[in-house]
This record gives sequence, C-alpha cells and structure tokens, in this order.
Amino acid sequence: MEHIELFFKSIFIDNMVFATFLGMCSYLAVSKKVSTAVGLGAAVIFVLAITVPLNWLLDQYLLQPGALGKWLGAEYADYDLSFLSFIMFIATIATMVQLVEIVVEKFSPSLYNSLGIFLPLIAVNCAILGGSLFMQSREIPTLGLATTYGIGSGIGWFLAILAIAAIREKIRYSNVPPALRGLGITFIITGLMAIGFMSFGGMLTGGDDEGAKEEKTAQVEKKVVDDNEKEMANNIKVNE
Amino acid sequence: MSNKTESNVYTILFAVAMVVVVGGLLAFTASALRPKIDNNQRLEKQQNILYAMGVNDNDETSAVFVSTDKAPELFNQYITKQLVIEGDKVTEDENAYLIDVKKEQASAKAGKERRLPLFVGNKDGQTYYIAPIRGKGLWDAIWGYVAMDKDMVVQGVYFDHKGETAGLGANIKQRYFMDDFIGEHLLSENGDFAGITVAKGNNDPKNENKTDNKVDAIAGATITGDGVTAMLKSELKKYVPYFKTLK
Amino acid sequence: MGLLSKKDAALIKDPLADNNPITIQVLGICSALAITAQLEAAIVMSFSVLFVLGIGNVVISLMRNIIPSKIRIIVQLIVVAALVIIVDQVLKAFAYELSKTLSVFVGLIITNCIIMGRFEAFALGNGPWRSFLDGIGNAAGYGVILIIVAFFRELLGAGTLLGFPVLGDPIEKTGLYAFGYENNGFMLLAPMALIVVGIIIWIQRTKNKALVEDH
Repeated sequence: MEHIELFFKSIFIDNMVFATFLGMCSYLAVSKKVSTAVGLGAAVIFVLAITVPLNWLLDQYLLQPGALGKWLGAEYADYDLSFLSFIMFIATIATMVQLVEIVVEKFSPSLYNSLGIFLPLIAVNCAILGGSLFMQSREIPTLGLATTYGIGSGIGWFLAILAIAAIREKIRYSNVPPALRGLGITFIITGLMAIGFMSFGGMLTGGDDEGAKEEKTAQVEKKVVDDNEKEMANNIKVNE
Repeated sequence: MSNKTESNVYTILFAVAMVVVVGGLLAFTASALRPKIDNNQRLEKQQNILYAMGVNDNDETSAVFVSTDKAPELFNQYITKQLVIEGDKVTEDENAYLIDVKKEQASAKAGKERRLPLFVGNKDGQTYYIAPIRGKGLWDAIWGYVAMDKDMVVQGVYFDHKGETAGLGANIKQRYFMDDFIGEHLLSENGDFAGITVAKGNNDPKNENKTDNKVDAIAGATITGDGVTAMLKSELKKYVPYFKTLK
Repeated sequence: MGLLSKKDAALIKDPLADNNPITIQVLGICSALAITAQLEAAIVMSFSVLFVLGIGNVVISLMRNIIPSKIRIIVQLIVVAALVIIVDQVLKAFAYELSKTLSVFVGLIITNCIIMGRFEAFALGNGPWRSFLDGIGNAAGYGVILIIVAFFRELLGAGTLLGFPVLGDPIEKTGLYAFGYENNGFMLLAPMALIVVGIIIWIQRTKNKALVEDH
C-alpha cells in the first residue's frame, strides 16, 4: 500500500517536470519527436531506478550523521559526512550513466544507436540528481521505497516528455506566429500544462481523511500523555 | 596524444589521481575550516534563540539579529537556564543549545529516547520558554525556534530554511510571516494541544484573532506552509507534558 | 574593446543576445524557473554562476588535454562540484552572513546544465583565455534573462522590487492599490516563469528573424 501510494504520488502529484520543474533543459530540447522523447524518457526511468536506491545506500551507510556508526562501530558514530552528499551523488550518477553507456554499447549495439546520444545527456539532467536529493531530504525509510520512488519519478518524467512531444508533433500543422515557432510555443505550452498539473497538487491537501487520522492519533497520544504526567510531576520534584 | 588518453590504464590512473586530489582538497578544507564554521554556527544558534524571545535589532520591516560580537554576552544575560528533557527526566545543561535536533530526530527513529532541549529566558521580568523545532519544507529542511510563555502562548518565533523557493517558501523567514505568530495560542480553548495551522483564506489577513490556532499563509507557498504547520505540531507536542508540570 | 580581438569580443557579445544560453541554447532552465520570483535572488544567482562558470571553464580548459574521454562527464561534474563546495565552505568560515544568502544556490549551481553545457561545448576544445571569455559571456547572457524575468515576476506578483514596495501597500490600500489594483500572485508560481520566458523568446525572434525555427 505504502509503495502504491508513493508510486502514484511521485508520478502525478510530485511530477518532476510539472511540480518541481526539474530536468527542463533536456525536456525542452529533446521533445521535437515522439520517438526520440520515448528513448530519452526510457533512459531516465532506467537511470533513476538505479541511482536512487544506490544513493539511498550511500546516504544510509556513509553520509548521514551517525551513518558510519551502523557498521564501523560506535566510535565512528559522531562523523557527519553530509557535506559530501552532492559530490557523492553526482559521482554515482555520472558513473552509472557512463557504465550503462559502455554496457549497452557492448551488448546491444542497436539499442545503443537509438539511445546512444541521449545517455550522456542524462548525467546533466537535474531530474536525476533531484531524485536523489529529494530521497535524502524526504527521508525515505527503506531501500524498497527508494526504488519505488526512483521508478515512479522516472515514469512521471517519461509521461511528461511524451505528452509534450506529442503536442509538438501536432502543433506542426497549426499556424503559430513565426517568432513563436519551436522553442517559444513549447515554453508557453509547458507553462500551461504545469498549471493543469497543479490540480494534482490539490489532492495532497484536500480530503478529510487526514484530519480524521490525526484526531485519532491525538486521542491515543493524549491518553499516554496523561499517564506520563503523574510520573513526570513526581520526578521533577525529586530533581529539584 | 589521443592514444595515450584513451587507454584503460591511463583512464584508471587518472580516475584514481582525481579522487585523491579532489578528496584531499575537500577533506583539507573541511577539516581546516571546521572550527571556524562550528563557531559561526554556534553564534547563529544564539542569535536565533535571542531573536525568538524578542532580543533583536529589528527595524521597521526587516528581521535583524543582534550582532555576532554581542551574541554570547546577551545570550548569557537573557538565557537563565538550559534544560534537557529526556522522557520524564529534566536536567540542566549549559550546552543544551548545541544539541543537534536533526540527530535527535534520527536517533528517536532508531528507538532511542529523544533529548528535548528547552531554553528558559528572562526579559523585562517575563519568563520565556524557547524550543527548537525542525521539519521538512518543499525542497529541504526547515527549522526554527519558538518562544512561549508557560501557557504555551507564542511570544516570538524564528524560522529558517535550507532551500525553499526564493520569493515564496523562503519568505517564512520574513518578518511579516514570523510576526503573525506572536500572541497565537498553541493550546485550544479547552486546554488540549492544537498547534498553529498555517492556513489559506482564514478571513483574518491582519491576524487579529489570536485564539483560532491559525495564521495566514504565504500565497504560492502551500507546501512550505504545510511543512511549518506539521513541524510546529509534531515538535511542540512533545513539550506539552513539561508545560503541564509548570502549572 | 582595445584589449580584445574581434573574435574574442564576439565570445562575450554573442551569448548576450543571438546565442543566449536560455532562449537559444536551452541551458539552465531549471534554475531560471526556481529563483526568478525575487529580483534579489536572481541577481545573486547570476553573479554566482558568473564566478563558477568563469573559473570552471578555465580549469577544464587547462585540463582538456589530459582528461580521458571515457570518464570526462564524471571529471567535469566533480570539478564543478568540488569548486562550489570549497567556495561554500570558505564562505561559511569567513563570511557567514553572505554564505547564508548563497548556500541555497549551491545545489542549483552544481546541477545547472549551463555549466556542464559550456564545459562540454567550449572549454574542452579551446584555450583558457578564450574559455574564460566564453564563460563570462554565457553567464552574463544567462543573468540578463534571469534579471528581466525576475523583474516582471516580482513587480507584478508581489508589487515589490528588491523587497521594497513600489506600488503601495496592498493591505492598507495605498498607492496603486487604492484604485483597485491587485497583485497577481500567479506570477510568483513557476509556470508563469515559463510563459514569461516564452514571451521574451517571442519578442527576441520577432526582432531578429534569423533566429526563427521552421518548427
């Protein structure tokens, strides 16, 4: 259930392109044709699905404050390497992208030819780094969820570039003012699509479910608090 | 030239050299500058805490801290007691303000008892209780300090963020937003903890109703605002048992 | 421009208009959307990019003959990331106030594709001096668009410029607001940045027909 929720949330509500505006450059530059858009989109899904869980492991066992303590023993628990997050994440991503490029070239030259030029582009696609940084700042708890998040975000990006490419193929037959043709109209369409996607954002805040849930937990906690109170009052007197 | 730089051996050697050089440089700057950075962060914490309890150099519209050279002295002058609340045990610790809330949240998740720092300040005869809070905004971490009186009525707040959108979510550290919290009640009318909700369209743009547990949101910063709401609720709730003992 | 030859001067002038990184090369869009709700942030970001791109281009250009092509992407990213992190740490130690304003942009600078784009397209094939000029020129072209977009977004969205209210007070209903004018909060949202850039492209290409695409 958790997985399904995160999956759909990362595709629609937190859509990389329309909600957080990441990966815009390649989104705008490589969306002239549906076929190339599909190639790039598939590559993004693949790389996100690999790098987010990888970086999750890095974050958990190396970067987080106290992470080293988990496997090197308590004396290392005080190290905080989180200032290295950026460089480690980027290194993982660039390595993965280059590794994927080499492997694909070796084992499936035909796939390499259709994807080839897009692969290096992915390393500079900020949606990829954004995926890892969101994973870190939103504190996704397990490796499985991190993978789900990576795949979901990738699919969100894929759908977005597919949609704009399809629109651009259609709009070729429309009478757009010459100066707006190509890039200009794409910017404006993307803006309008993003406004449309805001409707999904409303789903985050709307609904009474959340309120009901909160009330319930509040009641439970209140009971616990009441129990604690008496003890606490006693203890404070002792301390003073 | 191209032959030389294309060979695998060269590539690997280059990569190793790169890692050593960059890693060394980063480690060197990080460790050489660590004491200075730590000191700056310590002063900033003191400034933040003082700001929340109303000791600041605010002019008409903008938020201004007391200057760094005066911060330690004023901190000693206004903050009378620093407490660490650990479960139902309350101890005094003069370095409680150095407790890293982020680390405490992480260790609480790992099942350990959470240490809650609380600073007791005194200004013009009034007692302030200042609690650090930390949560998540749209992009990254948000945090702050809330000064309350013993009835959990907010006396002042300071919010900060790591990377909220400039002009939108980043405005949580602007005075027009922070000042709205002054006088707001954290408890509902019947004395239960209610928190303060950052709400859109509560028909109270000048924030005259102080007991509705609501302040006006920043337009266009819904998710950051929700983050502030959640942070106030979940973090300050933990202090409720202590405040009950004050009565 | 006595100092610069005609070719060198073009390196600075072209990116300002006819080869603008944002409106023509489509580089650095994400950051242009993220920080143009406020004029001040746009200015700070422009100068940060000017600095990083100028220096980064020189460093990459100096290393261009020794970087193995198989791992060039990693090398480029690491150079820029290391540069930015070191600058950030130094600022944190010696100019803490300034670093608080800038640290928000650290992530945005590293992931800014304008930097990787120029490394790849120019610095890898040209000498340090020309790369430096190219970096400065492109960063300036990027900054110009950023500042224009931020000017309109802050003015129309919040009624302020650099944080100062220029249209009156929306709550007390003074100045322009006395006549029923309202801020358009929509301007502050990222989609409007896309549309403003779209309009800038429109104007630019109407003036210079050579830039028009067939589709």
